[in-house]
Amino acid sequence: MNHSTILGSRWRLILAGATLAVLAACGGGGGDTGVVPPPPPPPPPPVTKAEAFRFLNQATFGATEAEATRLIALGDSTNAYSRWIDAEVAKPAGTLLPQVEAAFATLSTQPNFNLQQLNAPRVEKWFENTLRGSDQLRQRVAFALSEILVVSQVGALQNLPFATADFYDMLARGAFGNYRQLLEDVTLHPAMGVYLSMLGNQRAVAGTNLRPDENYARETMQLFSIGLVELNVDGTVRRDTQNQPIPTYDQNIIEGFARVFTGWKWACPSTNPNCTFANTRAQNTPVANYNQIRPMQLYPDQHETGTKLVLNYSGVTLPNATIPAGQTGAQDLAAALDNIFNHPNVGPFIAKQLIQKLVTSNPSPAYVQRVAERFNNDGSGRRGNLEAVVRAVLLDADARSSPTGNAAATAGKVKESLLRLTQFWRAYDGRAASGRYGAQPVNFPGGVSSIFGQGPGQSPSVFNFFSPSYAPPGEIANGSFVAPELQLATEYLNTQVTNFFWTQAINRTTAQTGLAADTMFIDTREEQALVADSEALINKVAEKLLGGAAQMSATLKSEAKAQIDRTAAGTAGNNNTRVADAIYFVVTSPEFALQR
Amino acid sequence: MNRQRRRFLRAAAAGGLAYAFGRTPGTVHAQMSGGGGFSDYKAMVCLFLFGGNDSWNMVVPTSAAEYDAYSNARGGPLGVGSGLAVPQASLLPLTLQTPDPNGATYGMHPSMGGVQELFNAGRAAVVANVGPLIRPTTKSQYQTAATTGHALPPQLFSHNDQQDQWHSLRGRAIVRSGWAGRVADVLNSQLGAQQLPLNVSLSGQTFFQAGEVATPYVMGAAGANAFAGFGTGGTPLARRTAFEAIANANYGTVYERGYASVQRRAVQYADRVNGAITAARDFTALPNAGVTLSPLATQLRTVAKLIDVRSRLSMSRQIFFVSTGGFDTHDDLAADQPGLLGNVSASIKSFYDALTEIGMEGSVTLFTQSDFGRTLTSNGDGSDHAWGGVQLVVGGAVRGQNLYGRYPLLTINGPDDVGGGRMIPSVSSDQYAGTIARWFGINDANLPLVAPSIGNFAQQDLGFLI
Repeated sequence: MNHSTILGSRWRLILAGATLAVLAACGGGGGDTGVVPPPPPPPPPPVTKAEAFRFLNQATFGATEAEATRLIALGDSTNAYSRWIDAEVAKPAGTLLPQVEAAFATLSTQPNFNLQQLNAPRVEKWFENTLRGSDQLRQRVAFALSEILVVSQVGALQNLPFATADFYDMLARGAFGNYRQLLEDVTLHPAMGVYLSMLGNQRAVAGTNLRPDENYARETMQLFSIGLVELNVDGTVRRDTQNQPIPTYDQNIIEGFARVFTGWKWACPSTNPNCTFANTRAQNTPVANYNQIRPMQLYPDQHETGTKLVLNYSGVTLPNATIPAGQTGAQDLAAALDNIFNHPNVGPFIAKQLIQKLVTSNPSPAYVQRVAERFNNDGSGRRGNLEAVVRAVLLDADARSSPTGNAAATAGKVKESLLRLTQFWRAYDGRAASGRYGAQPVNFPGGVSSIFGQGPGQSPSVFNFFSPSYAPPGEIANGSFVAPELQLATEYLNTQVTNFFWTQAINRTTAQTGLAADTMFIDTREEQALVADSEALINKVAEKLLGGAAQMSATLKSEAKAQIDRTAAGTAGNNNTRVADAIYFVVTSPEFALQR
Repeated sequence: MNRQRRRFLRAAAAGGLAYAFGRTPGTVHAQMSGGGGFSDYKAMVCLFLFGGNDSWNMVVPTSAAEYDAYSNARGGPLGVGSGLAVPQASLLPLTLQTPDPNGATYGMHPSMGGVQELFNAGRAAVVANVGPLIRPTTKSQYQTAATTGHALPPQLFSHNDQQDQWHSLRGRAIVRSGWAGRVADVLNSQLGAQQLPLNVSLSGQTFFQAGEVATPYVMGAAGANAFAGFGTGGTPLARRTAFEAIANANYGTVYERGYASVQRRAVQYADRVNGAITAARDFTALPNAGVTLSPLATQLRTVAKLIDVRSRLSMSRQIFFVSTGGFDTHDDLAADQPGLLGNVSASIKSFYDALTEIGMEGSVTLFTQSDFGRTLTSNGDGSDHAWGGVQLVVGGAVRGQNLYGRYPLLTINGPDDVGGGRMIPSVSSDQYAGTIARWFGINDANLPLVAPSIGNFAQQDLGFLI
């Protein structure tokens, strides 16, 4: 290779003068004199702490200094992230169900036991998994999926705690699997069956007003797969010649899918293996092979056997977009889910929502397209590979590079309030003497949702805690941007959350004694060691919560520091107040609310 | 940003609020209110029934022919097979002031004695078969809309889209505001020194109250919560001052700025609300203690308190948002509906009674909204998403004991049914909202800003308010 043509004569001259020692050290490959080899490209820079925090806030339940250090040690900025993901993908899923079953064994012998009491252990185990579990990426993706494929203990599932827990575990196990499989698992899971009333959905009866339930048919298309209107692969809305969006389906298609989803109900209880559609029931005791955690079962006599109109789109494989008559319920289901899964909307629809949940509220169309194309084809011809999609979301240049110019103002997102809590507790080693995590009522009087506006498996409806299109009035709506998580940042809930953090910082730390066994406390010993030096103290907190003192605005730093200094260091009480002020001002700051 | 919105904002910045929904932009017309603020007080209370109230069982025909049609459409009596019809004998009679010329009579769901009493006393009205429409629509116009281009609201029968229609009255335009938010935009300049935004929600963020300009305030069901760690002197006061300085600082992202503005408003309004509300009455009908109130009744108690202390907060116009959920009765209609409607009725009645304790019942109008009506047909033990339905309006300003709009003949495949017992609304949400907005003080020139499609309907005021 003729290096001189690559470098140009001017570069050769400079190199010859300036890098003689380096060249000599190269050992002179080939022995040709007079041709100067190029300088090696500069090694990729290491991952900085701030970059590590950014990544870990996208991929885990909150960055910690320890995990940032571990990530940085995995390599330089071109390979550390993918190596970290490789290790995460290989980890098995932490689960919720065993804790719920164990709680049943303990609680069911007590007087006045009711099944609703078993929702609390599920929430506690969720906190334990998200604070302590090592499968952080899997859990974070499962949480994102749980906000798309929503079921909730609020409503019909309140007395089905095993099904509710198992549904979440299913999402965790499937977080890096295939979306077609996940869609089927979700469809047949009894928790979803109960929540969106496909469980027990009957065929029409001629001569009566009875016809199939349309609930699951509608929501599985609107929320779980394709959305209401046709999309381009970059997630933007397609429009017709009158500039109107183009609906993806109409009422006739909903009725077609409603007919598909007939005949499914609780699998026969292990105690009644010859059950019927009419007499099958949920098993509320976790005996072997109980049906709360088994897929629903088809009862052929209640399945609609006629033709069913399904989605029509370019490339649809079913003739006339119609499922033929006379198939079994299982065949109908497979055909219907294939029909949904292969709709061109699924890639951009799911890609954009995962980006919004993990990285930024306002992704560029190009970013959505890159991820959607990975959904459509993972590189080896497979569609719906979630592992490939998650990698594409997190390793994209828009997720990893620092935004500049106009884009900087809308890069990132507001952290979900529940994720602000998990990040805070992770950074401060939140724990309770009892070994339980986030137990009610001492930590959350009224429940975690009453303070944070959300809790695991506690959405108020299938539409999640917030809408992916929410835009508060003002510059965000005016700019046609969205900030979904701000739907929960009402004056009321922000005050609840802000007060929660104050209580945590002032009254629930390693500096207090006599805390109740279940009270979550934070480890402030490092801050206590720096308590006399307000500058060092506030910087320490910013290192833990923001990934560096430089991440604080000048206002935050100066106001917090001044407030710390209004209390003189010395007594235990004063020291406690100084540490509390430092933590409180950072954890409630706009900087901390932002996920960069 | 879409072009219409940019136009709106440009004109708003220039001082005259140009408004556009893909139609000719108008301007906000000077409202005649004597120059400086309103001399009277009015409040509207929107009670949203989340999930889609099966309102064909809330107000039911009781006359023989109409009841038979209803009962057949619903598949016979509730609890028998897949039947959904409330038994005729259990319905609570509504006494119409002007009897129906064809002899139709109506009754209320048996769990709704409170609202029945208000209706028969002339303090409540029923608006029948109301829902989102862009223009009057017949069954044949609906069936041929795809080819004729007859304008229909998009995504009929979908929860969040039909909620959005009720909240925003957007038709087919893409808008960022709800109709209560636009009422605030129009009236803002006339409100004087109100200490709280015109729109207050007791039930979370809602599109209904988002203005193009005006921002609502969200408090808890039981009021505003104070900030722990803040105080009126010394270090606690300094903590508050520092907190506000941080909330007031400049930030580089829209997310930080959005969050900081909420923190700023939270501090400011909590002071004002908490400073005033302690002076409010302990209502006999909605007592502070001794009775366990439902979450809805708790929200309405806080509304009543804020109305009681309106002068302390210099309020002359207020829109409150309260809600209750669980109405998506795909299942278990027979088991669930009595509790759902019973709570609505009892809460409304207690709220009305509380208002009479302070003599404010004539200044406050409560009205319901819900995602949609539901199918007359059954899916086994419940009903599915549909379109038109029945709403309630309550207050001393209501021309009560009347049914407004047109209660349809409830027959499957009848002239109002687009399939499965999904009834085409006979009056639009725009007409419903427009009637309330006119009472509230929106003049006719500004009415299209609030209810953009109202010009497509002959009757712009349904007449249920004084």
